[in-house]
Amino acid sequence: MLKKRIVGVITIKNGWAVQSFGYGRYLPLGRPETIATNLDRWGVDEVLVQCIDRYETGPDFALLESLCSQGLSTPLVYSGGILTTAHAVSAIQSGADRVCVDSLLHEAPSRVMDISAHLGAQGVIACLPLSIGEHGVMWLDHRMRINRPLDPVVMAALREGAISEALVIDWKSEGILNSFDGRLLLIEELAGIPIIAFGGLSKVDTMRSALSTPNVTAIAQGNFLNYREHAVQALRNTLAGSPIRIAHYAASPL
Amino acid sequence: MKSITVGIVDYGVGNLNSVHHALRTLGFRSLIGSDPKTLDTADLLLLPGVGAFPTAMKALDRLHLTDYLRATARAGRPILGICLGMQLLADASTEHEHTIGLGLIPGQVRALSLAARHIGWNDIIPNCHDPLFHHAYHKQHCTVYFNHSFVLDTKREYCIFTAQASEPIVAVVRKDMTVGFQFHPEKSQDAGHRLLSDVIKGLYHA
Repeated sequence: MLKKRIVGVITIKNGWAVQSFGYGRYLPLGRPETIATNLDRWGVDEVLVQCIDRYETGPDFALLESLCSQGLSTPLVYSGGILTTAHAVSAIQSGADRVCVDSLLHEAPSRVMDISAHLGAQGVIACLPLSIGEHGVMWLDHRMRINRPLDPVVMAALREGAISEALVIDWKSEGILNSFDGRLLLIEELAGIPIIAFGGLSKVDTMRSALSTPNVTAIAQGNFLNYREHAVQALRNTLAGSPIRIAHYAASPL
Repeated sequence: MKSITVGIVDYGVGNLNSVHHALRTLGFRSLIGSDPKTLDTADLLLLPGVGAFPTAMKALDRLHLTDYLRATARAGRPILGICLGMQLLADASTEHEHTIGLGLIPGQVRALSLAARHIGWNDIIPNCHDPLFHHAYHKQHCTVYFNHSFVLDTKREYCIFTAQASEPIVAVVRKDMTVGFQFHPEKSQDAGHRLLSDVIKGLYHA
């Protein structure tokens, strides 16, 4: 049967991988290529590279080409500065297997549909940084630094399959141990939509709970996978019994 | 010993460099091209692909590769299709509109019927024995990465492996010297690389 996935997230600012705390405070980690190579070697299910400062300059194709030249054997998802169909197609041609869109969902959802028509819905993920407050579920437009309700047009695209999955980010908890708000996975608007859960997911019980939620297809971790060697295999062993792949260790040469 | 050269067919669709790097890692030579003269120098042709079936077939037509690939298969040269590249080997697809394919593997491509898509890692299950895949038969689990929303319906005799999702999915097909992978072997870590290596070597020596 189809396994639920563990996604390794690399957050990139000014070309460097950074440790991010709520997308507001950053500490440098090192070269993205090194971290991607480690995640690949440790057998993560997908690598998500999110470049958080590319709105003005467009996607970082040079980084994608550099990552691709590492010979990664793990699927690569790219996020950052994708504003047109040409951007998305070029990202795939530069080495990404899927793209994740964020600002474009706020500004021109119709363009996301065009990207989906070119790449296929399976190639497109919607990034939804969410929080639950006194006004209910709010969707962060991080570029404008405002919260707004979820857009019915975007939710319809997800529900009808024009976008394959929603990357649901508990952005307030991102980078903070054991802080993921599990209520985000149960909100009515997301019913039936495939979800990648991200942001403060570090506690085993919370991860198990997320993986047992029917429409959660993946959990994602950023900083927490960078603290020790073979972090992905250790996580898989910790989550044994969940519907995930068993730990993978690099094989001897073929 | 002579290195096997794989010709990656470039028709403007997909992530060719990932396949190129995987082949190099596995010790094969590879070239990327859309010119038949260039592709003729390869021992085996690899048809990758990401995107929609009609767009891909139009691109192959525009580059005069449709007839070339059909003639290549008729001549008994090996061809390997990956993901959309496997679907292009079929007779036709209903993606967006009815579109004629390369017709190298009898069958039709249609949308998944019970789920919108099949994304992630899944086990492949042997459907019949084929010596090309001898390593995969000996593994308890052979888990590979899928990312698609359309599937190939073909005769049982051409279906080498299936995957079980919301419905049975044809994961590997073979007819003579033409093989198709619905999954991405280049992005399936050691399991995918081993399958890719076995098939290329097996077809070359067949």
